[in-house]
Amino acid sequence: MPENPLPETAPTTTARPLRLGVAGPVGVGKSSLIATVCRALATELEIGVITNDIYTDEDARFLRSAGVLEPERIRAVETGACPHTAIRDDVTANLLAAEDLAADFAPLDLVVIESGGDNLTATFSPALVDAQIFVLDVAGGGDVARKGGPGIGRADLLVVNKTDLAPHVGVDVERMVADASAAREGRAVIALSRTDESSVAALRAWVLDVLAAYRSGAHVAQDPGPMAPHFHADEDGGVLHSHADGDHAHSHADDHDVVAR
Amino acid sequence: MPTPPPATTRSAERTAPAPGTVALLLADARLPGGGHAHSASLEPALLGGLPVDDVPAWMAGRATTVSLVEAGTAVVTAHVLTTGGAHGLDAVARAWAARTPSGALRDAARLLGRGYLRVARTLWADHHAVAAAAGLAVRHGSVPRAVVLGAVAAACGLGPADLVRLTVYDDAQTAASALLKLEPLDPLVPARWVLDACAAAEPHVARVAACTTPDDIPSSGAPLTEGWAEAHALTQQRLFRA
Ligand SMILES: Nc1nc2c(ncn2[C@@H]2O[C@H](COP(=O)(O)OP(=O)(O)OP(=O)(O)O)[C@@H](O)[C@H]2O)c(=O)[nH]1
Ligand SMILES: [Mg+2]
Repeated sequence: MPENPLPETAPTTTARPLRLGVAGPVGVGKSSLIATVCRALATELEIGVITNDIYTDEDARFLRSAGVLEPERIRAVETGACPHTAIRDDVTANLLAAEDLAADFAPLDLVVIESGGDNLTATFSPALVDAQIFVLDVAGGGDVARKGGPGIGRADLLVVNKTDLAPHVGVDVERMVADASAAREGRAVIALSRTDESSVAALRAWVLDVLAAYRSGAHVAQDPGPMAPHFHADEDGGVLHSHADGDHAHSHADDHDVVAR
Repeated sequence: MPTPPPATTRSAERTAPAPGTVALLLADARLPGGGHAHSASLEPALLGGLPVDDVPAWMAGRATTVSLVEAGTAVVTAHVLTTGGAHGLDAVARAWAARTPSGALRDAARLLGRGYLRVARTLWADHHAVAAAAGLAVRHGSVPRAVVLGAVAAACGLGPADLVRLTVYDDAQTAASALLKLEPLDPLVPARWVLDACAAAEPHVARVAACTTPDDIPSSGAPLTEGWAEAHALTQQRLFRA
């Protein structure tokens, strides 16, 4: 039986848009950050957005209503109540949505994927994104950055968000950024507020730098590391994957880091 | 002393897993094929008013109706790809679509088909059966999950009866897993319901496994499920795709 040659489902890296993940706990400002990025870059880049809500399309609707992109360029995927699975263990739904966006709005420069607000250490698989931003906010407290974990420690960029609120919540932003930088061994940190134009400019410049590095082939996708402890009641009758907690989580993650090298 | 078999035979034996092992892989929720975002029509059913107490009966109902449509589609696909028979895959996919009246369910099955095709093309990249399913995806713009499953069965030598059981089991287990996300429940309780649903399908296995042409594919429907799926596709608060 004569058959067509295998079609390419995943276009080669040079052709496809940069896929940028945005992760972080609930309410830290991931959707707002994406709206800010779209606003700052809409005139120079072709952008699409995918959201991963737990109850699917809340984030997509927020972003559509922000009016920063054509509504059709913002798509929601279902996560089966497991937002961390959808960005790490089984990225199929996100990958297909990213392919569809790239095909429907070709040529796209950038697909931004928002993780459903999950725990502190849910990170994207490099099978899904080329680069990722981990977002914290000052309202979560100044100590959070010191607690480490894969996203805080090894995402391509850590954003300390809502710095305008710092005086109201008693957080020393400089200190928080210094702690974060120390935990990250010098990887990029941006203190952001959507009302602080210079911080928005820094975020914009970072995205453009990553895009340029990606296109030149110089950028290599990094895996920040494994998951937080979580409960899978669905697969095998209930197993608590407790990798560790507290300080131990950090050293455990470091072990993986060593293995990865 | 018997002479050792030629090196090529030995390496072929070493590199080909048993078909039953491949079935285990395909039935394992940990295989990243996109299935975790699907509920096998359970979320639509609960949203549509199905009482939780009726879920076991509903699962057995699926196992003897819509699951057999999927299973028959997979069996005929494998048969066509193994024998190179007169009916091409296009006719199989059309027969499946004709037996799946809900557009929402066809869309969901095609989305799963894309995810499965990624898996299949990664794991059986060189096999002509997988290439045929990929070719259908190019011609039609999509390929239903059952056709990809049939192509994988052809690629790994999984027999028709096991293919039917795999399809029925996967559907029941998908619903059971989703139920734990939707209702408070001891996780072992729906495991019993999965076995009961599979048992309910058992008297139908031989008949479905014997299908060879698109016309043979069972056309046993579940109209309420189809209606619930259409309503669910329009809601804004979903955990699952379908
Ligand atoms: N003061 C201040 N508030 C902000 C800033 N960015 C976002 N917010 C507010 O923080 C709240 C949460 O913002 P979202 O963008 O929805 O946060 P999220 O991380 O996407 O939330 P989930 O998707 O639910 O996890 C909203 O009330 C925003 O208006 C900021 O820079 N400053
Ligand atoms: Mg959000």
